[in-house]
Amino acid sequence: MKQLFAAISVVLLLSGCSPNPPKTVYPQLNREAEFRGGLSWNPRSGRVITSWINPGGTMTTLYGDDTAVNYARSHADGAYPAGAKLGAVTWKQQEDARWFGGRIPAQVASVEIVVAGGPYEKYEGSPLAAVPGSDAQRAQFLLQQRAAVMP
Amino acid sequence: MTRMRFLTGTGIVLLLIGGAMQAYRPKLESPPVTAEIQAPDEVRQILRQRCYSCHSNETKLPWYDNLAPAYWVVRDDVLEGREHLNFSTIGAKPEAVQRGMLFESVNTVQLGSMPLPRYLAVHRDAGVTPDELATLRHYLATPPAQSAAPAPAAAAETQFQHWIASNGKPMGTQPDTQVQPEWNGVPFLPEYKNWKPVSSTERWDNHTMRQILGNDIALKAIADGKIDNWPDGTVFAKVAWLQQPDGKGGITTGAFQQVELMIKNSKTYASTEGWGWGRWRGDDLKPYGKDAAFQNECISCHEPVAHSDHVYTAPIGGAQ
Ligand code: HEC
Ligand code: HEC
Repeated sequence: MKQLFAAISVVLLLSGCSPNPPKTVYPQLNREAEFRGGLSWNPRSGRVITSWINPGGTMTTLYGDDTAVNYARSHADGAYPAGAKLGAVTWKQQEDARWFGGRIPAQVASVEIVVAGGPYEKYEGSPLAAVPGSDAQRAQFLLQQRAAVMP
Repeated sequence: MTRMRFLTGTGIVLLLIGGAMQAYRPKLESPPVTAEIQAPDEVRQILRQRCYSCHSNETKLPWYDNLAPAYWVVRDDVLEGREHLNFSTIGAKPEAVQRGMLFESVNTVQLGSMPLPRYLAVHRDAGVTPDELATLRHYLATPPAQSAAPAPAAAAETQFQHWIASNGKPMGTQPDTQVQPEWNGVPFLPEYKNWKPVSSTERWDNHTMRQILGNDIALKAIADGKIDNWPDGTVFAKVAWLQQPDGKGGITTGAFQQVELMIKNSKTYASTEGWGWGRWRGDDLKPYGKDAAFQNECISCHEPVAHSDHVYTAPIGGAQ
């Protein structure tokens, strides 16, 4: 008799009274990866030029303002018109909790801003603060990155 | 006393109905195992125990699943499950496809969508244990013996030169060459490349790098923090490039691989979870798939994030 009841309840459960899938994923912003602190220009207000992964677990996206992006997408030489603005944002990485196999941005490690024919600035820390000094070699490196193909 | 008699009566009636139901028994075939998934024993063992009842030709059902109407439900699950993923035949597919399906498998387990929750509610011990999950993850985290060759640099170079030459005027001034819509009618939107950044991913499972971009409607919803039900008109683009090692331990974006779109319209796309799905591959942007059924792939893999409106990415705000 007990077995019969067990069988009947299994049958009933399977035939419709089934629970909804567990809510394991909620809509969520990646707050950790946002900027904290003031910058002379917000690179993420621009558009993507390219991106790369650095040794040691950080990832960088290079953005540009309209002048920079239009130039990068039509030239390979990095000779941007004076005043074009580029910004490189480097994030620490974390495992994507929603996709084993992916790494996504965690905290911002640094923000670099370079203006063609103008200054190079670097921000670090949380909140982000300008690091004194310039780095002509690094500025040149950023200007030389080719745009990622986006047909 | 009468109560007892009533119960017995009900029991007998139920038994009779139950017995009658057993008469309708559509068959559940067991086709031959032609090419089992290629994986080490400890991995196969877990899949056999946890997934093969629905995802193989070696379905073994406990006695109570053989009783109608449970049998009817389980039979449907098995047939549908096999159609989506069959570990008894997938061994014939390229190694990358098999690995890709194992990654998807681990992710469905982690996100609680496999084994099917309604199945777990009844078969309480049928879930993947934390130890078993660790074994699966460990196997996938170890690169295969002949790891994917780096994307050919020469091909990426040719592609780049061709792109800057043809696409080289300031954006918006040159109409794009006609790109075909997807098989399901979802249009290609060439303006995707001018959208704002939402996030980025390094995908070590398939050696690609991705940028996720959003149109103005998406960006406004992010700024307002209203991302539980994306407004109609929201569009996401995901652009993927092959990874190209820079020779100094870093990785740069290599050849363009594909761009994917998700276009929100709760009416037009009601039958596909409210989103229009499209994928265009290669620098000639060829619509993916052979027919409109390609979108089942998208929908299945985005199903574990149904509670976040089928969107995987956690957007990074502050891109206005
Ligand atoms: C009770 C039957 C059942 C069991 C047990 C089960 N599945 Fe499934 N699975 C299904 C069905 C039905 C579908 C298709 C519909 C859906 O996604 O809900 C599916 C879909 C999937 C998909 C999506 C495939 C695609 O189309 O892209 C994956 C991956 C998957 N299952 C993995 C697993 C893994 C891994 C296990 C074991 C840990 C498992 N399933 C156990 C029934 C089952
Ligand atoms: C194997 C699983 C899988 C399949 C199949 C899949 N996606 Fe995705 N998709 C993902 C994951 C994971 C992300 C999160 C970003 C990342 O890691 O690349 C994503 C992100 C996206 C995004 C960015 C918005 C978001 O949800 O995060 C778009 C657009 C997208 N996919 C479109 C598609 C389209 C169109 C298809 C079918 C042609 C498709 N996807 C098939 C797993 C999948």
